[in-house]
Amino acid sequence: MDKLSFFSIDDKVIPAHQLAASLLDFSRSRQVNKHKVLRGTGIFNEDVISERKLSARQLLQLMNNARSLTPGNDCAFLLGKRLFPGTYGAVSNALTHSRNLADAFRILAQVRSQICPFLTVNRYSTENSQYWVITDAVGCEEQFQFVAELYCTALVSAVKLLLGQRIPFQFNFPFARPKYIQEYEVHLGHRLAFSQPVMSISFDKKWLSTRCVNHSDSLKWYALRQCRHVTMPKLGFLEAIRTVISQHHQYGLQKVAEHFAMSTSSFKRKLKQHGYSFQQLQDEVGKQQAIYLLQVQQLTNEESASMMQFSDIPNFRRSVKRWTGLTPSQLRLTTQS
Amino acid sequence: MLLSQYDPCAECKVCQHIFGPYDMRINMNLSLLAQHQRLFSVACASLTLSLTLSIGLGQAKALADISWLDMIGEGSVALLSLAWIFFLLVSRPPGRVTSALVIGLSCFLFSAVLDLVDEVMFYEHTATGLSMIESIPSGIGMLIMSYALYQWHQEQLILNKQLQKRESNSREHDQVDFITALYSAEYMRTQIDSQLQNSSSPGFSVVMLDINNFDLFNRQYGHDQGDHLLRELSDIILMNLRSTDLACRYAGDRFILLFPDTDLRTAEQIAEQIKLAIANIAFKPNQSGESVYHHLTFAAESAITGDASDSILQRVNRRLDMFKQHGQAHG
Repeated sequence: MDKLSFFSIDDKVIPAHQLAASLLDFSRSRQVNKHKVLRGTGIFNEDVISERKLSARQLLQLMNNARSLTPGNDCAFLLGKRLFPGTYGAVSNALTHSRNLADAFRILAQVRSQICPFLTVNRYSTENSQYWVITDAVGCEEQFQFVAELYCTALVSAVKLLLGQRIPFQFNFPFARPKYIQEYEVHLGHRLAFSQPVMSISFDKKWLSTRCVNHSDSLKWYALRQCRHVTMPKLGFLEAIRTVISQHHQYGLQKVAEHFAMSTSSFKRKLKQHGYSFQQLQDEVGKQQAIYLLQVQQLTNEESASMMQFSDIPNFRRSVKRWTGLTPSQLRLTTQS
Repeated sequence: MLLSQYDPCAECKVCQHIFGPYDMRINMNLSLLAQHQRLFSVACASLTLSLTLSIGLGQAKALADISWLDMIGEGSVALLSLAWIFFLLVSRPPGRVTSALVIGLSCFLFSAVLDLVDEVMFYEHTATGLSMIESIPSGIGMLIMSYALYQWHQEQLILNKQLQKRESNSREHDQVDFITALYSAEYMRTQIDSQLQNSSSPGFSVVMLDINNFDLFNRQYGHDQGDHLLRELSDIILMNLRSTDLACRYAGDRFILLFPDTDLRTAEQIAEQIKLAIANIAFKPNQSGESVYHHLTFAAESAITGDASDSILQRVNRRLDMFKQHGQAHG
């Protein structure tokens, strides 16, 4: 993996005229003082009408300001509704003209970092449903819930726009049930679960073949060609590390740092900037895989252990208990809906 | 007015310091101050007159003779009455009640200032009249204010009547929705809870209503027009309610209505009337000649014994979603 293929929280790679512009527009419509909403972000009002790029950290700070300065709790949801097609140009065009939902999601997987740099999507498929595990790509910390609300609403409203109808998604969130549950119900639907071990989105596979209202192969082809000109790295820093860990379970800190052509100490420092430790990431990847294999796929201990490259079962059971708080057999019993 | 881009309060440093996080146009509308030029001069006149009279006619006391405790006590009375005048001027529109309150307080301020300066000034025999009349303005001020407070009470009763369908038996201004000025879902939950607690057999109904294709409208005409539409629709909803009913904004384009002591049929009837009223409103976005008509979908539920606010809200929400899905399938 070469050094350029990921972006860290302080890399200025996100165009300012997209999410930042929507955030400022929304704050203005709620009569928030524009100086206050930009405070501490290092963003200037002129930036949103320029080719300037911003870092994830700047955008997260802007989200924090907008969330606390606008009245009510619907900021993330209303922004999510405006996100697509928004000002994403070629990316939006490619999605709009895709053939069916499966096609749209395939394109989304390719261009995801351009439209959603904050969240990683790992797509799994079971017999009847698609199961997406969502993780923090750059270190959102306290803004994770806002980011989750924003992009989940964007997903629901974009799919509705593509297909001309709303399809039911099941959302599992890692945070506690908020007081303003009505916003979740109205914007995301009623299939909600909170305080879950990992964040996931799932839906019935039958929807994948639903045709998009505006499908056009030629327009999509042209839009995809334009998308390639954008030089946004595909993976967030945390996301890149998780990819390496999940491919090479036996890798320790030093090995992974080498993979990124960094010294152990500068690798650790960079991780700290993202609010994570190496152990935390390792545990997260383990937890995710254990939940997918045991809870979603309902595999046996032996099968799961070998998939996760564990040599002995007792060690596997201990690790699962540490990651999720549940033993493998308990985890199998708590099935996902 | 709320939609205008120009925001005179955005740069105001004073209110930013006083009132933390929200922008000032939400919390405090300083534009009212500009409408009170006369009352503002009354307050200023009272302040300057009392200061010139008391300082001009006396001579400064020696430092040792000043009672600092009295100074602090009387100083704070003067300062606070000044602050009260300020808050009256920025929070009330001009009118009889406002005038009486400000004039009363100005009289009081006059006496308070005399009292305060009294502590640091020493008066010759020629000026003894001043200390004699010191307490008269404050007495008059109190009388005027008592009259004004009684008027305020009358005014409040009228205002409460105006708010009737927006508000139930409690007032929580921080739960009011910014866009529609209706109460939010949180307030409705409390009201449903109190309905459930107050009667042994709950006899109330709840209606949830939702605008069809609101997203499409927002995309076509912009979000400002969408907000504008929500405000207009909330007015029409209120117009069609009885005085005992309550309307709140739930979330997004969803409204929730509470009908105390009402069976499901009556609630549905009223909701049907609202639906009809809204279908006949020709909304004109962007001041153009074009008219856009809106249609609602609604669902009603009655409370059953052993209900909780969450369960009744869940039932009515699900039913509404079912109706919406059904409507979608049939175009």
